[in-house]
Amino acid sequence: MSWRADFEMVWALVRRAANEILRVPGAAIPGVLAPTIFFLGITSVFGNLTLLPGFDSDSYASFIVPVSMMQGAAFTGAATGVNLARDIEQGWFDRLLASPAPRPVLLAGLVGSAALRSLIPATFLLVIALAIGAHWPGLDGLAIALIVVMGMAVVAATWGTSLAMRFRTQSAAPLMQAGMLLLVFTTTAYAPLDLLSGWLQDVARINPVTQVVEAARQGFVGGVSWDETWPGLVALAGLAAFFTFFALRGMRRMARA
Amino acid sequence: MIERLAANARVVGALGRRSIRQTARRPQLAAPLIVFPTLLLAIQTGGAGRAVDLPGFPEVQSFLAFMLAGAMVQSVMLAGNSGGIALAIDLEMGFTDRLFAAPISRFAIVLGRLAGTAALGGLTAVWFLAIGIVFGVTIEGGPLAVVWIVLLVSAAALAFGGIGAAIALRSGKASVVQGLFPIVFVILFLSTAFFPANLMIEPAATVAEYNPLSFIVEGLREPIVAGFNGEDELAAVASVLGIGAVGLTLSAAAMRGRARRGQ
Amino acid sequence: MAAISTEELAREFEGGIKAVDGVELEVAEGEIYGFLGPNGAGKTTTVRMLVTLLQPTGGRAVVAGHDVMEDPAAVRRRIGVALQEAALDPLMTGRELIQLQATLHAMPRSKGRELSDALLERVGLTQAADRRVGTYSGGMRRRLDLASALVHSPSVLFLDEPTTGLDPVSRQAIWEEVERLNGEGTTVFLTTQYLEEADQLADRVGIITSGKLVAEGTPAALKAEVGRPHLELSLVQDALGQDRDAHAHAEQILARFGKAMPSRDGLLMVELERGAAEVGPIVRALDEAGLAVESLDLVRPTLDDVFVAKTGQHLEGSEDPAAGPEPGAEAG
Repeated sequence: MSWRADFEMVWALVRRAANEILRVPGAAIPGVLAPTIFFLGITSVFGNLTLLPGFDSDSYASFIVPVSMMQGAAFTGAATGVNLARDIEQGWFDRLLASPAPRPVLLAGLVGSAALRSLIPATFLLVIALAIGAHWPGLDGLAIALIVVMGMAVVAATWGTSLAMRFRTQSAAPLMQAGMLLLVFTTTAYAPLDLLSGWLQDVARINPVTQVVEAARQGFVGGVSWDETWPGLVALAGLAAFFTFFALRGMRRMARA
Repeated sequence: MIERLAANARVVGALGRRSIRQTARRPQLAAPLIVFPTLLLAIQTGGAGRAVDLPGFPEVQSFLAFMLAGAMVQSVMLAGNSGGIALAIDLEMGFTDRLFAAPISRFAIVLGRLAGTAALGGLTAVWFLAIGIVFGVTIEGGPLAVVWIVLLVSAAALAFGGIGAAIALRSGKASVVQGLFPIVFVILFLSTAFFPANLMIEPAATVAEYNPLSFIVEGLREPIVAGFNGEDELAAVASVLGIGAVGLTLSAAAMRGRARRGQ
Repeated sequence: MAAISTEELAREFEGGIKAVDGVELEVAEGEIYGFLGPNGAGKTTTVRMLVTLLQPTGGRAVVAGHDVMEDPAAVRRRIGVALQEAALDPLMTGRELIQLQATLHAMPRSKGRELSDALLERVGLTQAADRRVGTYSGGMRRRLDLASALVHSPSVLFLDEPTTGLDPVSRQAIWEEVERLNGEGTTVFLTTQYLEEADQLADRVGIITSGKLVAEGTPAALKAEVGRPHLELSLVQDALGQDRDAHAHAEQILARFGKAMPSRDGLLMVELERGAAEVGPIVRALDEAGLAVESLDLVRPTLDDVFVAKTGQHLEGSEDPAAGPEPGAEAG
């Protein structure tokens, strides 16, 4: 089977997943609005944290916008897991599993749709953020932020689909969401490392997503440098590879039980 | 008369227990009550904990002590939302039809669900107070404050549950009630649930000063961080009563609407 | 070569429930094999193993020339699958579904378009091709599901309860299509709870209960195994009340033709040695004796009789939801 056939399969699956928002009126709205609401809310509530000595940005909106974009991507990815759980419950996934399509192609269809879909809330959020005065990150900063968004969606989607194949019920939804919430926010999400309280500082130091947050943030709070970029990209690639392994293993094990 | 009242009370009790079981058995309904507010509490106290050093931040033992009230109101608002979703699912699946066909007051049926929500609200209050105490918070108002907080949170859950039930009865669709999820957070962010109003950014700061939710938050927060303050408690009770009245009125109207449409 | 063959095929679920327990199957190419059993008997579990969706915990299965464990991908390329409760996406149109299925079989898009036209036409869904599946009736969904299983002209087609819950007209449409496909050389493995369906369609029938295959053969052979046809008849009532004598007389005559069976509700019954050929002589003999026959029925054994004989229960009665599926087993 050629790469071209594989690509067409992935695209057909992405196209099918897009129906969820294109053909259900209003279905896209909560997913698009939620990250923006969180962004506006957190900015309004914690905006004055920038007054703390040691806070390295004067605009909390600029500081938090990449985090909210990542959060939006994480929830989009988790939603892919929830949708897969529904597809497993209803038998649709059997149709895909009983077809000769290579298993990585089936996973790529799920993950690819999450990555593309994550750009919608991120773009909406970015426009609102810039409108209320967040700093323009520069083209390089923007590119990094968007790569991070799509990467985070891939991480969340592989995590969500792994759980979906393990539990095979939409009841696992809170676990998919909570896992990603913890992953994104036990970092320097709310404040610079030195200003986090003790336990969170320790966790943020070892959480690879801290590197990702810092990479996505640099354009918004200062300037982009390669030294701040590559650790984030490496961390993202590592996380994606890690969860992809479990998702693929989960898919191969679907026939076991 | 008394017999009817007793029958209705039994219905409220039975349906209340059912709604608690239903929530406990569906992680999707239970998680927003406990798991998400707890995670958010941990993340926010860890991430924004140094806020207590900001000039103008009220005297508190710790940011955690300050945040407990916010976590509780977040929890009960989500409980109201979850209760609405569960009621809408019942409506969609026709479970309520069976109840409506029975010779019991329709109001008792909705009250049954709200009783369950109130009980769950009380449980979340206990949970967050326990978390606070385990992580070193001293409840300044003493044991009486603990009892008071549990009661106030239960009452707030009943009030928000009324709003959730009204929307469920009005729309009859779980997806509509589910769609209100973001609005819950809008109201939370525009209150003093997570931060003192004087340190919030405008226009949210001004909205928070007048948001009825802020009064409930302060009524829960004061006994934890400082001790009883009659005025704050009065304002909190008035807010709960007001929201409860709105919720029950809307629920009753929605129910009459359903009866008129023959649903 | 057999299209499907299994040796000691078994599936045990967590908690030690043996949904399928040592099933031996041999389905020839070009055959329609009917797999009969009540809910929870192990039908769906067996099918899920044969189509590679579930790994066996014992034994082996070879489908379309490939072992389901060793080379599941090769099996998937050669089989078509229409599972119970047709798994369709309500948001897609019928045409989109067929095209997606073609893409999953690595066919180019132009081929997918051609195929979707032809297959939708074939199952009579051309009119509804661009409507969303959510608007389809139950019968339309099954036909679409069937069409989607045919995109790659599979050599073996698996149909899991293809007509459960359908009205008689829709059921007939599915039966005709299955017969047509079989006529074109497709091997069909079909599970059903309907005896009529197995009787009408299947070349051979296997009966599974509690995970074990308890009977197998052509419908005719299975029926012959459980008993011969018998005749049920009643006499015209005599106004003078001489019924008793007439009845006894008739019994004597009938005994000449075969083993008499105890009469029931005034009906006389006799098992026929040589089947329908004896009906004429019996009527003539009674007539000559002055006994007027009011009604006469030749009763042949049905698959239900076979089912009762083999499993001790009625198949159709097993649809009673109170009976319930086995715990941990599938709903099939």
